[in-house]
Amino acid sequence: MPRTRLKIRIVLVAALAGALVALTATVAGASRLTGTHLSGAGSTFVQPLVNKWISPVKSQLGTALTYNGVGSTGGVTAIDSRGVDMGMSDAPLSQFPGKCTNCVQMPWALAGTAVVYNLPSLPYLHISGPVLAQMFNCTITKWNAPAIKALNPGRTLPNTTIFPVHRTDGSGTTYNFTDFLSKVSSAWRNGPGTGTSVSWPSCGGNALGGSHSSGVSGVVKGQVGSIGYVDVYYAKSNSLQYMDVKNAAGKYIQPTLASFKAAGSSDTTPNSNGVISIVYPSASFPTAYPICTYTYVDVQKTGNGSQAPVIRKFLNWAIHTGQSYGPALLFQPLDPGVVTWDTNNAIPHIGS
Amino acid sequence: MRLGDFVLQGVAGAAAFASLGLVALIVIEIVHRARPAYSAFGFSFVYRVIWDPVHDVYGAGSYLFGTVITSFGALLLAAPLAIGIGLFLSELAPKGILAPVTALVETLAAIPSVVIGLWGLIVLAPFLRDHVDPALHSVLGFIPLFGQAAVGPSLFTAIIVLTIMILPIIASISRELFLAVPSELKEGALGLGATRWQMVRGVSLSYSRSGIAAAMILGLGRALGEAIAVTQVIGGGTEILWNLFTPGDTLASKIAANYQGTSGLLETPALLYLATILLVFSLITSVLAQLIVRHAARQHGAQ
Repeated sequence: MPRTRLKIRIVLVAALAGALVALTATVAGASRLTGTHLSGAGSTFVQPLVNKWISPVKSQLGTALTYNGVGSTGGVTAIDSRGVDMGMSDAPLSQFPGKCTNCVQMPWALAGTAVVYNLPSLPYLHISGPVLAQMFNCTITKWNAPAIKALNPGRTLPNTTIFPVHRTDGSGTTYNFTDFLSKVSSAWRNGPGTGTSVSWPSCGGNALGGSHSSGVSGVVKGQVGSIGYVDVYYAKSNSLQYMDVKNAAGKYIQPTLASFKAAGSSDTTPNSNGVISIVYPSASFPTAYPICTYTYVDVQKTGNGSQAPVIRKFLNWAIHTGQSYGPALLFQPLDPGVVTWDTNNAIPHIGS
Repeated sequence: MRLGDFVLQGVAGAAAFASLGLVALIVIEIVHRARPAYSAFGFSFVYRVIWDPVHDVYGAGSYLFGTVITSFGALLLAAPLAIGIGLFLSELAPKGILAPVTALVETLAAIPSVVIGLWGLIVLAPFLRDHVDPALHSVLGFIPLFGQAAVGPSLFTAIIVLTIMILPIIASISRELFLAVPSELKEGALGLGATRWQMVRGVSLSYSRSGIAAAMILGLGRALGEAIAVTQVIGGGTEILWNLFTPGDTLASKIAANYQGTSGLLETPALLYLATILLVFSLITSVLAQLIVRHAARQHGAQ
């Protein structure tokens, strides 16, 4: 009797193993049969847009696109070591010395960073860059400080402590926000400076840190008097209060597609490295939102082999057709000048 | 020697050496990759309080402080609670609730760290800030450690979260230890007229002393290494502030938060330098546990 049971067990295990092998083979074979594949990794800022692209890219280009939102630095590290076909980063490569030194860099999506806060019954407060820098630098500590009151005449501000919230993980959103603070405040520029991760003043224990946008959102929502920064799409889809930020023309601007477009129009030609900065555009752009950023895609110039045409085709699609998927996710379609630059100066350099 | 014995020795020996080799390889790799930070900052890295990727200057001071305070604070809270649970489950629980309570304590251990971290940030932190911290401050406020409580995410919240996480380990080991106390010793004490509490204190606790110490060190090791749950609730503080109700950070939490997002030439080596310090801690606690267990074995052997 035990022998028959043993035999039955062996047969069952063999059948299971065989089924598993067959299944894997079919799946693997299937993906081999249906066209090309592309891998990308990096910025979580651009992730909603890239995820939206996966389905149309499959149907229109026949390419299976996979994306891993490991953060801008993770993306740059991945493309540097050729672990992926494309790296996505919110910060330009100059922020990552020594990485991806033979890469093409091009801007391919445009969005903004919202200043979120928690003061019940006080929506759409006005704020200016210098005051924001002072709040994060701990020189303004209460919400009813004269400097904030002056920006918000007619509104009653409470005597609540300000709790500045920052990202504890390295982030392109931090880069955009600190880039803005550096442009409007010399104290910030000479102090913490600009980076995907900076040394945030601790304000005697009032400065809080959150891990990823979800962490910042959780901290801000749970602490009255807190002020932080997240990308605009995240702020709006999570019902966070956000501020109207004063631009160089003295106007208080809400983060909307129109205001992103105005910011984008302030500079439509990337420099020779493919970098454009549209943070705090000049007063000639009165409707521009001052905390906008392009996000970049980095590709190795050589060594792509048979993937090169696939990458070029996809990037071409991304900067033309792909942009139409942007507005629903609060990405403003690229200015034609940027599209032209990318098409002539970046994409052709992606070689085999 | 028969073939079976030979194979057994070979396979078991290979497994043992493989795990030793793995540990050695991990340690060597981490120390090697931390070398640039060690060359740049030397030993002063261990106590400097700074983390500036823009200017490429780093120091472990605030993280070391946070690790020590949160881990030992959690142990201080969890140990008596866990020993109490162990005693309850071994000596005092009525038959009916023994099984459910044991199961619940084990389930506590099974909750993923990231879930506890999320719960900690959204539920626990505001609760502590609004109800527990002010109460503690009003009673113990003369001690600077229990200063003003303004925020939810803090060292204290991290201590509570870590207490919850290390409670099950210490509790279940304590329970096993108390169950293993020879019944003739316990009955002997009761027979001599001791009360339940005197029996527990005089027999169970003193017999299991070293085992409980080892369990506590196991819990401490767990607390030292916990990264994900801590990074959610500790508030990302950058200074050493002698107030439990302010944000802080620990070695493990800092490494977890920043490893994927480093900028600056020396940030990754600096993070690995933090990892080296954490490894040294873990090594010390592990050796300590070994020594205690060995000492206990000698003690029990002498009895």
